[in-house]
Amino acid sequence: MSLGLDLGYLERSARGEFDLGWLRNTDSEWGVRAVPSKTGLTLRDISIGSYGVIPEHAPRRTMAPRGSDIESDVPDMGYTVNDKAEVWSDNVLDLYEEAVSRQWSATRDIPWSELVPLDPDVEHAMCQLATVLSEVEMVAADFPAKWLWRINHDFVEAKMFLCTQVMDEARHTEVFRKRALANGGGLGRATAVIERFLQLILDAETYDEGSALMHLLGEGIVLSLFRAGAALAPSPVEQQIFRLCMQDEARHVAYGTMHLRYRLAKDPSMAADFHDYLDRGEEMIAMIFSTPEIVEPTAILAAGSVEAACALGAEAGDVLRHQIIGDYLKRCDHAGLDRRGRLHLPDAIIEGVPGAKAEVAA
Amino acid sequence: MAPIAAPFPSGPWFEELVARATADTAAMERLGIAEFRLGAEVVGASGARRLFGLEFDGYDITATGPTDEAAFAPDVVFSGSLEAWTEMIGWIEANGPADSAHSLNGLSIAGVPFQVRSSDAMGSDKFYRYMGTLQAVFDAASADAPVPAVAN
Ligand SMILES: [Fe+2]
Ligand SMILES: [Fe+2]
Repeated sequence: MSLGLDLGYLERSARGEFDLGWLRNTDSEWGVRAVPSKTGLTLRDISIGSYGVIPEHAPRRTMAPRGSDIESDVPDMGYTVNDKAEVWSDNVLDLYEEAVSRQWSATRDIPWSELVPLDPDVEHAMCQLATVLSEVEMVAADFPAKWLWRINHDFVEAKMFLCTQVMDEARHTEVFRKRALANGGGLGRATAVIERFLQLILDAETYDEGSALMHLLGEGIVLSLFRAGAALAPSPVEQQIFRLCMQDEARHVAYGTMHLRYRLAKDPSMAADFHDYLDRGEEMIAMIFSTPEIVEPTAILAAGSVEAACALGAEAGDVLRHQIIGDYLKRCDHAGLDRRGRLHLPDAIIEGVPGAKAEVAA
Repeated sequence: MAPIAAPFPSGPWFEELVARATADTAAMERLGIAEFRLGAEVVGASGARRLFGLEFDGYDITATGPTDEAAFAPDVVFSGSLEAWTEMIGWIEANGPADSAHSLNGLSIAGVPFQVRSSDAMGSDKFYRYMGTLQAVFDAASADAPVPAVAN
């Protein structure tokens, strides 16, 4: 492949005959002076003039920065996601700033020296939960990474946010692997059923489908698990791990919810597609509540021992079940997708969740 | 540091709480930016409700109140009885930063003794997004260091 090296230019420039086309013949907006706001110079601060205009459909498939002067013979990068509505959300600029501002380190910011010895069954439960989380977290890096290079560079702010998600999920994978190995336990069991769900996300045919399954549904479930983990933490170590992960996860879910809202506002006819994706995805919620490797460690951590968890039975997981389904319905509603009439979940799972059972589809 | 002298709940109590939490500016900034309006609702024995507002704007935090919900327009309301509030704050005053059972998250996850109320999903999700900052503010009621370690 020829990169178009201009040998003549080497000679001309050596003689001081500069081209200066880039200096004299510019069409990009000039004289721009973005003003920092109170936390510094944010993406919103530089979203001004023509630079703040994001095309509904990207006119080219190039890596050229949006708003720059672009030569006519730039190569086609082959992007497949070229419509703004496919990836955008109205909060994505702010979420990027927030993500960068609220980064943390699993090495430094967890008070590892404050781990306490736990009853062996409780330690095993914590390690099993950490195993599952270490397993599922990385798909939320793999999925955006799989799509990032297909997303048109004109939507660079959305791409940048997805890059923060990739980093967040690397840290989540890291912190749960570290927790499993830090207190006398080790890794537990990885199950085929969880792997099949991860495959469903990774193999989604469109970004829309994968984002609905992951950002809205899957990460919503994980957010609830983090919230429960923080509430049940046996030491400041687990409390800080789950709290910091919860903050990150809520950003990912906020993107997913607002992306779906943006998508449906632009094209309400897509609601049927999203209902279909979620019909299939909701089997995941059912799966979560019928996977011993998730249900039982959570129940043991909630109850304090295997015996206490067995005595409580399903009751030990009621808070988590209510939260997962209730928050999910609320997020769908905010996005403009009413799932209350068509949840694809067995009665035993939606039992007692306000607004869910009476209207459930057969 | 002694417990906050102003009576709970009162505007001066929340103002002093925020002053303590933000005294170490660098420590609070390390927790990151937050854009959020929290209504702290205290329900008296008679059922009377008093709302105090905490506004998070970048790195700034301001306390307002008592105010009413319509005027303050919170993203989310954290609501509990006076008894639940005084118990939570008393625990933090006596023991330092809240453990999991006495944290805002731990005390509201089951809907008792505190409830998290919001008009839409984005409001309640902000309660999760900024939990570290929010807990750091309430932990400032304690005699211990108010801001947890998320160092840079
Ligand atoms: Fe995650
Ligand atoms: Fe995530």
